[in-house]
Amino acid sequence: MSSTIAPAWGLALRSLRNIRRLPSAFVPALMMPLVQVIAFSGTFAGITVVQGFPTDRSVNWYLPLAVTMGSSFAGLGTGFAMIRDLQSGFYDRLRMSPAGRRSLLLGPFIAAWARALIAVVLVLIVGVALGARPTSWVAIPSLIAVGLGTATLGTGWGIGLAYRFGDMRAAAIMQLTLFLGLFLTDAQTPIDVMSGWLVPVATVNPLSRVLGLARQGFIDDGASWATTIWGLATLIAVSAATAMFAMAGLRRLDD
Amino acid sequence: MSTLAQTRAMSQRSVLALVRQPALVIPSAVFPLFFAALGTSSFSRAVNIPGFPEVDSFLDFALAGAVVQGILFGSITSATALATDIETGFFDRLLAAPTQRTAILIGRLAGAMAYGFAQTLFFVAVLVPFGLRITTGAVGLMLMAIGGLLTALAVAALMSTMALRTGSSEAVQGSFPLLFVLLFFSSAFFPRETMSGAYRRIADWNPVSHLVEGFRSLTIGEVNATSIAQVVVLPAALAVVTITGALAALAARTRRG
Amino acid sequence: MSQSPIFARDLVRVFGSGDSAVRAVDGVDLDVSAGEIFGFLGPNGAGKSTTVRMLTTLLRPTSGTARVAGFDVVTDADAVRRSIGVALQDAAIDPLMTGRELLRLQATLYSIPRTDGERRSGELLERVGLSAAADRRVGTYSGGMRRRLDLALALIGEPSVLFLDEPTTGLDPMSRISLWEEIRRLNADGTTVLLTTQYLEEADQLADRVAIIDHGQIVREGQPDDLKAEVGAPTLFIDVETTLVDTATGVLGTFGELRPTAEGTLGVGLRDGVGAVSAVVRALDEAGVAVSHLEVRAPSLDDVFAEATGYRLEGADTDGATR
Repeated sequence: MSSTIAPAWGLALRSLRNIRRLPSAFVPALMMPLVQVIAFSGTFAGITVVQGFPTDRSVNWYLPLAVTMGSSFAGLGTGFAMIRDLQSGFYDRLRMSPAGRRSLLLGPFIAAWARALIAVVLVLIVGVALGARPTSWVAIPSLIAVGLGTATLGTGWGIGLAYRFGDMRAAAIMQLTLFLGLFLTDAQTPIDVMSGWLVPVATVNPLSRVLGLARQGFIDDGASWATTIWGLATLIAVSAATAMFAMAGLRRLDD
Repeated sequence: MSTLAQTRAMSQRSVLALVRQPALVIPSAVFPLFFAALGTSSFSRAVNIPGFPEVDSFLDFALAGAVVQGILFGSITSATALATDIETGFFDRLLAAPTQRTAILIGRLAGAMAYGFAQTLFFVAVLVPFGLRITTGAVGLMLMAIGGLLTALAVAALMSTMALRTGSSEAVQGSFPLLFVLLFFSSAFFPRETMSGAYRRIADWNPVSHLVEGFRSLTIGEVNATSIAQVVVLPAALAVVTITGALAALAARTRRG
Repeated sequence: MSQSPIFARDLVRVFGSGDSAVRAVDGVDLDVSAGEIFGFLGPNGAGKSTTVRMLTTLLRPTSGTARVAGFDVVTDADAVRRSIGVALQDAAIDPLMTGRELLRLQATLYSIPRTDGERRSGELLERVGLSAAADRRVGTYSGGMRRRLDLALALIGEPSVLFLDEPTTGLDPMSRISLWEEIRRLNADGTTVLLTTQYLEEADQLADRVAIIDHGQIVREGQPDDLKAEVGAPTLFIDVETTLVDTATGVLGTFGELRPTAEGTLGVGLRDGVGAVSAVVRALDEAGVAVSHLEVRAPSLDDVFAEATGYRLEGADTDGATR
């Protein structure tokens, strides 16, 4: 086991050091959720008066969305880094080393978790400054779970696509799909409040469950075991699927 | 070749570039439409909240924001093309040829104008089958298309200034977040009347709010002095300022070259 | 290990499928002995780097077998990786990291304990003369420094087999010679080296044996001297006065095939080898031709390469003896 952890930790450390050394690759990904929580809460401030909206603070609704966006894009950030490493050939060095293939995968995940936690904390600070107020103690653990979970699924999806395409096409696909996936949910308003084509889409989209978990400590009467279990189960299932996708992609590099 | 013919040739080049490389323009058209569709479903009940203008559906409200959003993002495309011309040295070759300096810039701007005009009509055509209704009819639609053209001109000239000053396509594309902020801190997606506090004050000052509201009153209101001022006069005035800036940037660059 | 450290039998790699399939490597056999420096040469796209990628576990062979350090590159890839050190030309070094950080990361990837890794990084930096630059970002290194760091990275796991892909491309002559010395030193310590290069002089200087690959197949293999001898006769070059060129040409023609040369110089491939030089000089003297300059040149590896592949490599020494 230590032979998996030590190399993975070394790779994660490299990735985290690059935050400071290549800020242009990290800062925009961090600014995005901050701008999002400010812009959405401000623009859609009036939406909370609609009958059935579960909070009277718009920032309470949009903060968890920004956290989810920010941490899943933190995951994709490792996918971008992977594209750079594949194109420069640096990744060949890693593949030629005797480090276990699992540690080559685990490294980016650790880095993404750290990046996601930075995003969670910053969005929380900005959100609270804008007036976000948790309604339950579960708010913080739920946000952290969603932050880590969506960072995991973002990383698996991101590096999996990077392995398959090896160039900037992967970056376009990973951003577009995750963006669509996250918006085709109850991202903007609760399913009970919306009407029309989005209702069935958001209902079946598993990411709505993830947003539900992220939000449960910020909306009135939101926290429940059902929300927690559904959210966690979805995160685990989707993360496992994308991690396997990444693993298969890494194996395909040999072909 | 006369200046006019040169300008026409340069304009043709920039328009053809848009037609031949749809991948460049599709995102700037698809994203606003996606958000309009998303909003129509998400915010269907928002139309009843106090301060919301009288509309049949959120889609009628959303059109204006979508049009302006599409034009803002589309203008990045044509300015990026100009910056790429500078990066690849094509721009210098044009300068070396006996081309009128201004023809190079006007050509690019003409491409943006054509795009702004066509995109406005395209958005309306796409959304009408989904229930979009324009209360001001053909006259209003024509005014909107002209407004789209002028807005595209104003923004493209601004972006071209940046392209000419920096000569970097990356810097031009890096302005994307700025446009995003400009758009969100306005009434592009929700009425100013429902906002409050500092956010409301920023939106009040943001010219994008007034531009969007002009398009919006042509969609859901009537043709009057205010709407014409917002849709035609405002972007035309902005265009005068930004074109002046772009010409100065062009002169600065040709002196350097 | 009784078997040779680098061994391949009928190694094949096909890219694509159907009509567009390309046999990049088409039945390569290799047998490199322990302690040998083996030069692996070929024009670009001949299958050289594809072969190296298979031997270093980066690419799975389509068919055939390859064993490195006694381990199968497919079924025992991890054991192969533990035994080899690789400096690949197109595998860039992360410019944002410092030399020391890279070596420590590499040590971690080889599961070398932390303190050992730090010590070994320090030693290797010293060995390749990068101690002073160790804590600078690689982005600020010169080409020569990067090559030396690359070598240090390849050595972190104390490999028994070393793969060096064009280790001196782009280096100035001084750096090249110091890198050659380092490679010889490593080899003297018992490391088997497979070296690809586009400098045939480098292969000639360093390699005990060379193989030339073209169109995915090994077209020549052996010791550089033997290969050169196979190409045939050495070339005799003489300079004579312009008025005597015709006479001299007539004389030379009786000793072998005339060879194209630079203006003002005549060349002949000596049918009977270097021993015929004195006979040529006597015959020219009898014909009244005064020779102002005379030179015999043995066939170079470049001649071997050109004869085998139809290419002359860029950067190779081609003046004078162009055929």
